[in-house]
Amino acid sequence: MPDEETLEEGVLNPVQPEIQDPLLREILEENELQADPSRNPLEQPAPLPDPDEVVDCLVIGTGAGGAPLLARLARAGRRVVALEAGPRHDAKTEFATDEKAQNFLFWNDERLSAGKNPVAFGKNNSGIGYGGSTLHYTAYTPRAHRGDLTLHTEFGEGVDWPFGIEELEPYYEELEHFLGVSGPTPYPWDAGRRKGYPLAPLPLNGAAQLMERACAQLGIKTSPAANAALSARYYQEGVGWREACTNRGFCQAGCSTGAKASMDVTFLPLAEQYGAEIRTGAYVTEIERDARGHVTAVVYEQGGRTVRQRCRNLFLCAGAIETPRLLLLNELALNSGQVGKHFMAHVGMQVWGTFPEDVRPYKGIPGGLISEDTHRPKDADFVGGYLLQSIGVMPVTFATQMVRQRKLWGQPLRDYMRDYNHIAGINVLGDCLPHADNFLELSDEKDARGVAKPRVHFTAQENEQRMNRHAERIMRQIWEAAGAKDIWAFERYAHIIGTARMGTSANDAVVDPDGRAFDVPNLYICDNSVFPSALSVNPALTIMALSLRTADKFLENQQA
Amino acid sequence: MPHYPEGTVRALLETDLVTPATRAALEARLTAPTTYEPQFFDADTYRLLQAVAARIYPQPDRETPIALAPAVDARLLKGGADGWRYDSMPPDREAYRLGLGGINQAAEVRFQQPFVALDEARQDQIMELLAAAEAPGENWSQLPQDRFFEEMLAELTETYYAHPLAQEEIGYVGMADVPGWQRIGLNELEPREPEGTK
Repeated sequence: MPDEETLEEGVLNPVQPEIQDPLLREILEENELQADPSRNPLEQPAPLPDPDEVVDCLVIGTGAGGAPLLARLARAGRRVVALEAGPRHDAKTEFATDEKAQNFLFWNDERLSAGKNPVAFGKNNSGIGYGGSTLHYTAYTPRAHRGDLTLHTEFGEGVDWPFGIEELEPYYEELEHFLGVSGPTPYPWDAGRRKGYPLAPLPLNGAAQLMERACAQLGIKTSPAANAALSARYYQEGVGWREACTNRGFCQAGCSTGAKASMDVTFLPLAEQYGAEIRTGAYVTEIERDARGHVTAVVYEQGGRTVRQRCRNLFLCAGAIETPRLLLLNELALNSGQVGKHFMAHVGMQVWGTFPEDVRPYKGIPGGLISEDTHRPKDADFVGGYLLQSIGVMPVTFATQMVRQRKLWGQPLRDYMRDYNHIAGINVLGDCLPHADNFLELSDEKDARGVAKPRVHFTAQENEQRMNRHAERIMRQIWEAAGAKDIWAFERYAHIIGTARMGTSANDAVVDPDGRAFDVPNLYICDNSVFPSALSVNPALTIMALSLRTADKFLENQQA
Repeated sequence: MPHYPEGTVRALLETDLVTPATRAALEARLTAPTTYEPQFFDADTYRLLQAVAARIYPQPDRETPIALAPAVDARLLKGGADGWRYDSMPPDREAYRLGLGGINQAAEVRFQQPFVALDEARQDQIMELLAAAEAPGENWSQLPQDRFFEEMLAELTETYYAHPLAQEEIGYVGMADVPGWQRIGLNELEPREPEGTK
């Protein structure tokens, strides 16, 4: 079982990097060299923090969960410090338009993937650096639907969120305008919105046009999708002008133009303008508490030094793997037994086909076209629903996942890849029910940093399998109608969700509806780990909404 | 299946349509030394890996094939990871040792010779068994054959298609993105995008 049993009893802060393997030691030394601030002109050696200073708010992680609240708390005048495990980059000069060269954007510490449908990590879903996973997210930013938050009420399965969509809507509006989301107004599947998107949709690429054409034949409604990449120049508070997207199609390996609203070009510079301090290359190992169980300080490794920062409040925003891993390693907030439990990953089935037309899948925003007609399909034999999207893809990513699925080798492999410019894909993004068999635990193996590797169990259950079958059938119909040959499906699971669930009772949830840990009154958690259910849409926008909401709730509670 | 003219990516690398960071990444692969001394694998195992890679990516059309084995050797030496591993698999170094050993065992069982001594047709027969997870050999009791094949195939594939010559082969010029792309719809090409011929 994945909980505290794997840790030694009576050890309050059990994280002691111990490196037995000479190889691991070597890697660790190398990592430390890389993290050496003197090697990177952007990373000025940080002065050691004042050991006596107690900051108001310490934030771990600078992705979609940590960055918005960092800016919010700094704006409110709090003394705020953020710790980011990775470095700060200059995207314009450092980011290559080359998939392999960009692997440094991913959280590449090894995780163990177990279960019948082992989930791929690294480039599939986990980032590192100033901006976290938003450095490589696709910028696909649909809002969650009202029903996504009330699955149990609607179906008698899954769980409800402790609040309704009304709580998120004001934040969605704020975010869409702050980030400069490009999308259709009115939104075809949510016509009653108070505010439209601030920018017109991005142009459709070849895959989007193929899907649009075929869906029109089949009576499936489509629309250009909402993407947090600029279709026109946009003024960014705290940053200045951001230029429009140049359609370079490289969102998943890092945007070098600043058109994509990753945290490094939006909330993080804003937070710094308001006085937040962001320490990069800071890998957290320990969370210290006093006798009452309140968090008092965080210990981290930075440039070969061990640093301790005291704090009044801690915001843990490290994502749905590193957040529960830190909690388990530090035996923190474990009373509900829910830490690491109910890991979810979106149903992410893809269908690919070869077309006579020139598609050139490397151009344009990857997720150009959307349909949400499948949010509650009439013929569904499953709980929840999914969205459909066209997808562009870069060659290395496409080739590696294609061979994993089709196992082509030899001349047939090279022959198939010659058609790369004629290949287009569609995929779905569907809800996933929480299940007791899907969870994260600490393994006995240690990673290159000397910390126990997480083991993540994931098996697609009956509901996910039914949704997969439904989705594959529809996508094959669409691609047949579009004129594709050699159609094949790739069953995959994307995004990492759950593992520190939010709820109304300390008996079955880690954090309360404000994001505050039931067991630890000055610990807040804000990232995809607190999602009670997976939603039928990409999570980034909702994580950011929760982040702003968590900051507002914290500030309200402080005043009360 | 289209064929694209040779030299497209190499020509673009000479222009300012490619950023310095992109050029640096691609030119490093183009100009990598043609000789490589393995540092992780012993000489025999490395030759075996080269022979297996040559069946997965046969390159009779190239005088100097794109080398795929050095990246594997260098990564294993360094202990590099990509963020995850199948829990059913041993650590990568052990997986490669067991898996390559298993390929040799399969060759010995079928043809009473090591893999590198077989002609290409017989090597391909062993590869077919491996791809179908039906290769004989005692190592496979310690290593899931389907996962090993998948992981090795994916790693060789990443190296192959990251190479500028392989990108020329499939008509990919996405690296030449300094001016951005204006013509992005179906059948819309910009002058720097090569046209394929059947």
